[in-house]
Amino acid sequence: MLTGDGKLVERCLQGDDAAWEAIVTTYARRIYNLGYRYTGRTDEAEDLTQEIFIKIYQNLKAFRPEAGNLLNWILKVSRNLIIDHYRQTRRFQHTAGSEEMETMNLSDEKLPDAHRLMEQSEASRFLRDGLQALSPELKEAVILRDLEGMAYQEIAQLLNVPEGTVKSRINRGRIELAKLLVKRRSQAGMQL
Amino acid sequence: MECLHVEEHLTEYVDRSLPAEELATIAEHLHECSKCASLLEDVRSVLVTCKTVPNVDLDLNLVERILLRTSGRPRTRTLREILSQHVLRPILTPRFAMGAVVGLLFLALAANLMMPKVSTLASTLSPREMLRWADRGVQHLYSGGLKLYDKKNEWQAEFTFFKNNVFNKLGFMIEQLDVPVEGKQDSGKPRQQQEKAPTDKSTVLLSPA
Repeated sequence: MLTGDGKLVERCLQGDDAAWEAIVTTYARRIYNLGYRYTGRTDEAEDLTQEIFIKIYQNLKAFRPEAGNLLNWILKVSRNLIIDHYRQTRRFQHTAGSEEMETMNLSDEKLPDAHRLMEQSEASRFLRDGLQALSPELKEAVILRDLEGMAYQEIAQLLNVPEGTVKSRINRGRIELAKLLVKRRSQAGMQL
Repeated sequence: MECLHVEEHLTEYVDRSLPAEELATIAEHLHECSKCASLLEDVRSVLVTCKTVPNVDLDLNLVERILLRTSGRPRTRTLREILSQHVLRPILTPRFAMGAVVGLLFLALAANLMMPKVSTLASTLSPREMLRWADRGVQHLYSGGLKLYDKKNEWQAEFTFFKNNVFNKLGFMIEQLDVPVEGKQDSGKPRQQQEKAPTDKSTVLLSPA
């Protein structure tokens, strides 16, 4: 018996373009944000998102509904491509802080005032810069747990490592990130 | 307890996923060690920042590009997008704004000019005016009828005059032509008899007196 994801993929394989469009519109934003958090650049995130969806489209036959839901499978494909991208570039660059202001999601009913917006933007920029300074394993663990909000078990399945390792990586990642942010804040304060 | 041990279990301490005894021991250490307490605050600060990091908005053109490069079919537009693309975008231009302003000015002027006429029309359509108008119409019709009647009488009189005049003239001419040579005794004879012998008349007329 096929589940919702299984049926959707089955329709795609039968040539139903609407089903494929549903998959793209459902997951594109999440994959794009994941790519953006890994790379820190919108142009690279866009390229990565395109590559990921082309890969998914070409490998839809490989999806097994009994092995997990479609999101997890898409995340696995995404993660592999992001790692490949990292190996090719060997570094994840980061962008200027003004981009955060432009792309900030202001869907809240109450719009934040300018001061709060600036503080939030500054904190986000520090965080992104700090993330780029972490090792790939720690960065990946922190992104998936603290930015994507995934559970330890989901991360363990995605990364194919034990849950204890995931917890350890997250712990180390958070501590290193905290130390980096303190250091960068103090440097920024001295510059000001 | 060593600081390293606290550091290793900091996330679990934050998540409260450690046994109660362990939690109490770490709490005690944090109370005594300012370095570890400071680290805990920094980690908590990171977690708060992570929660406030906004999602980046996805450009719909990216979805379009992905679909074109995979299935080859463009993205299905919502009604709002179609309206925005074909109606709102062409409308909301400086040229349209200028046109709208000029149009409004024209309408305002036209309305200003039309206002007195509108009031006149309203008074014309009142029952009193309608009755007066109907009365004038009837009078007009009646006078027209009278004129036609007079004209008819005039034409009739002219015809009668013409008829009498012409026929009398003709009768007189015929009478002139009908004078007998012998005298006036035959002049009262019927016309048919005269016509029966035209040759006699001509001979008479041509003969010497």
